[in-house]
Amino acid sequence: MLELSHLTKRYGALEALHDLSFNVTPGEIFGFVGANGAGKTTTMRVVLGVLEADSGSVIWDGSPITFETRRRIGYIPEDRGLYPKMTVIAQLVYFGQLHGLNRKAAREASTTLLERLGLADRAKSQLQSLSHGNQQRVQLAAALVFSPDLLVLDEPFAGLDPVAVDAMTEIVRAEADAGKPVVLSSHQLDIVERVCDRVGIINHGQMVALGTVTELTDRGPLRFWVDAPSAAAGWYDHVAGTSLVEQDGSRWLLQLDDGADEQAVLRTALATGPVHEFRRDRPALTQLFRDVMSGKAVDE
Amino acid sequence: MSSQTLIRVIAAREFMTRIRTRVFAISTVLVLIGIGAYILLQAYVFNQSTTTSLDVGFVGTAQSISAPVRAEAAGAGVTITVHPYTSLAAGKADVQSGVLSALVSGSGAGTTVFVQTTVDPTLQTVLNDQTRQQVLTEYLTQHGLAPSDLLGQLNFSVGINELSPVNAGRIEQIVIGLLVAGTLYVTLLAYGQFVAAGVIEEKSNRIVEILLATVRPWQLMLGKITGIGLVALVQVVLVAGVALVLASATKLVSIPTLSVDVVISGMVWFVLGYLMYSLLFAAAGSMVSRQEEVSSVALPVIGVLVAAWILAITVAAPDPGGTGTTVLSFIPMLSPVIMPVRIAAGVAPFWEVAISVVLVIATIAGLAALAGRIYRNSVLRVGGRVKWSDALGIAPSGKPVA
Repeated sequence: MLELSHLTKRYGALEALHDLSFNVTPGEIFGFVGANGAGKTTTMRVVLGVLEADSGSVIWDGSPITFETRRRIGYIPEDRGLYPKMTVIAQLVYFGQLHGLNRKAAREASTTLLERLGLADRAKSQLQSLSHGNQQRVQLAAALVFSPDLLVLDEPFAGLDPVAVDAMTEIVRAEADAGKPVVLSSHQLDIVERVCDRVGIINHGQMVALGTVTELTDRGPLRFWVDAPSAAAGWYDHVAGTSLVEQDGSRWLLQLDDGADEQAVLRTALATGPVHEFRRDRPALTQLFRDVMSGKAVDE
Repeated sequence: MSSQTLIRVIAAREFMTRIRTRVFAISTVLVLIGIGAYILLQAYVFNQSTTTSLDVGFVGTAQSISAPVRAEAAGAGVTITVHPYTSLAAGKADVQSGVLSALVSGSGAGTTVFVQTTVDPTLQTVLNDQTRQQVLTEYLTQHGLAPSDLLGQLNFSVGINELSPVNAGRIEQIVIGLLVAGTLYVTLLAYGQFVAAGVIEEKSNRIVEILLATVRPWQLMLGKITGIGLVALVQVVLVAGVALVLASATKLVSIPTLSVDVVISGMVWFVLGYLMYSLLFAAAGSMVSRQEEVSSVALPVIGVLVAAWILAITVAAPDPGGTGTTVLSFIPMLSPVIMPVRIAAGVAPFWEVAISVVLVIATIAGLAALAGRIYRNSVLRVGGRVKWSDALGIAPSGKPVA
């Protein structure tokens, strides 16, 4: 398990990280979400040891992370981190060797990975001749070539088309299923919502929301969509603690206060005639993210 | 995983990717062509300048001295082809048209030479000698004396005793010294800047971030310096080898003069100089994020190197044994360019070379610590040029960054 505990990092007057803590368990994909400059990359660099935190600690499997254990992390940096003029295979073999594989083992691992990523025919091409999506696959391959114990992926889906995203997520999922903790950051909240088991939203270096996607979206107010074509305006008025959020033709979005009985709402709706839809409204992660960013607190 | 293995892997990548580049192939070929052309030209010029050949016409009575004139001229290195003439007008016409270099007529004190503009000085001396001898011979014969007795006694030269002889090999030694120093200067300058460019490449591509999650900054820096240095060494050995073979084949420079110790010491100075300067270039490169900015930080380093070369030409080469040269050769940043000039001139005692090597090695150790510190503090700072206080890890905000 990877544990980040009370990380703080300052750049002069700017506090990049403030008392930041979270855990990632084996087999879990943790999505790290935040605006530009929120501290995602800083956090990942601290985990990688590329940057040193002012205080706090990074714990790996119960003990403080060391240079040697960090070498077991598969890392994708925010921007491309490959040699444009090197061939794909030479590049992967190089990273394999730097992580302790001998030449032969590195070559075998690279070939296997390229086949798995559908890039076997591009092995001898210069990296710069590949499309953006394929370059990103090579970047992932470079992170996986030495069979890492943990994956840290900074914006792995940036600029990828949906097909490439699916290909990437499939491989990342497989790595997690093999028992590795995975931390990834992304701006594409729909992907995070779909791929990640747990999500942390960071703002100005502080964790402002943390939990599974369901946990986070449950935190909003309790709202239901009711499609009752025969109902007249104000049909819900006598159900205690109910108020209208918006109406869309015969569809009504109602907000229920704490303790209000949604079954009573349903019965009342049925009393007006047919009910075509009665559904809990969960805000998309995007909505939640906007709420968090605009200061509408989603407290722990 | 041992540091040695990591550095070897990093150096191997640098070496393999660079030695296969078109830049390496083209620059090597161009240098080889340049050296080849220079040596062949030199050999050609040297061979040409020693022989002159003249077509000289002799009219009537002048024909009696044509044989001795030709013989004496041959001894002075001038080949004369004799053309006998019966008509003075025909001979003069051939001088005018350029068929003859000169036309000789008359005999004794009345001998005259016709030329277009100027007479060849050797021909003039030889004609003076031979006509005087002709007059002398006639005079002696008229007075009943045997000309061969006296002429035999006159056949001597003044003995010459050089009190301050010019060392025939001295110019050659200076040329060789400058060649070695010049090669070192150019190679240090070129490969030093390759190191800086390589560091910036990794920094601007952010590869350095992945690399430094796996290797220590000093391992990365040392691996890069080693790999690029080996490429440089291959080029230097290749160029020096071809130059030696060509030079000795054309007998321009004999191998004994370009003695083995000059070549070997040149190699040693290259390695030492490269280590010293490449550390500085690596540190300079780590402080900027874009190739365009490299000159702003590398300029002081380049300046020192250029100064060393200028001092080698202006101070060391004209006076390799002088006090000024000796002092300069002990300044570590200048030694790799100045000392080879002294060594080639044969005026550097072994103990002096040894002391300067020790000084340079000490400098390398100091620079390694300094460059390592700057590199470590700068290479992950992207954006503008890294401030000196940050690079040296003495930022006022507090403790050094990892």
